[in-house]
Amino acid sequence: MACFLVSAAAAVGVTAAKYIVRHNEKKNELVVKEPKEYKFGSEVKWSKKLAYLELMLWAGSFVLAGEHILHGEVTPFPPYLTKAGEGPEGVREMLTEMGTVGVIMLVSLVAVWGIGVLLVDYIKYRKHKKAENKVLSAEAK
Amino acid sequence: MYFIVSVVCTAIAAVLWFFFRERKSLHLDFLTIIFGAASVMWLIDVIFTAAEGNNPFEIEPIDGWISLWTILGGIFFWLLLSFIVNNKAKSVEAK
Repeated sequence: MACFLVSAAAAVGVTAAKYIVRHNEKKNELVVKEPKEYKFGSEVKWSKKLAYLELMLWAGSFVLAGEHILHGEVTPFPPYLTKAGEGPEGVREMLTEMGTVGVIMLVSLVAVWGIGVLLVDYIKYRKHKKAENKVLSAEAK
Repeated sequence: MYFIVSVVCTAIAAVLWFFFRERKSLHLDFLTIIFGAASVMWLIDVIFTAAEGNNPFEIEPIDGWISLWTILGGIFFWLLLSFIVNNKAKSVEAK
């Protein structure tokens, strides 16, 4: 019906958040600071991580929107969603679907992204620690 | 049916990404993510269809067109995004 709209709305929010985070990161880069200690997850910038979530949300909504158009659930004329034109009963049905299927789709996409981010951060962290230990052992010798 | 098509596309894109991982300008990671995201969303759709007591893998005449759209739509989105990102990188380099 209109489940893809939940992810599309979230994508708009994530896009805005990405630009704010990127702006703050650029601002922080301009301030000269002493080199910080390496932290878990600091190698990949948050703006890049959010860009991947943004891509997932936009791509998922885009492909699903096509499916809805082919099913005749989305029309090029107002009210654009066929269920919305069926009166209050149709609108209720549509909102229920958005609240269940749409929200679960969004949550599962965010969960998959979160697992991916954690995995990448962990791999980078392990690589860094390995390199650090190599240097330390070489210095000890 | 389009869920299966989407999963197969994700697998193919992931394999291509692995083999061409050095060629960053191809942005095959984008293609994998596009099909992967569609697969996740359709997985939820399949689960809900099954929970309603319907067969989610029942083939309808429109499914072929939706499968075709999945492939073409995903590839179109990837080409568009790659074009934008590559051009952005070029303009940054020129500066």
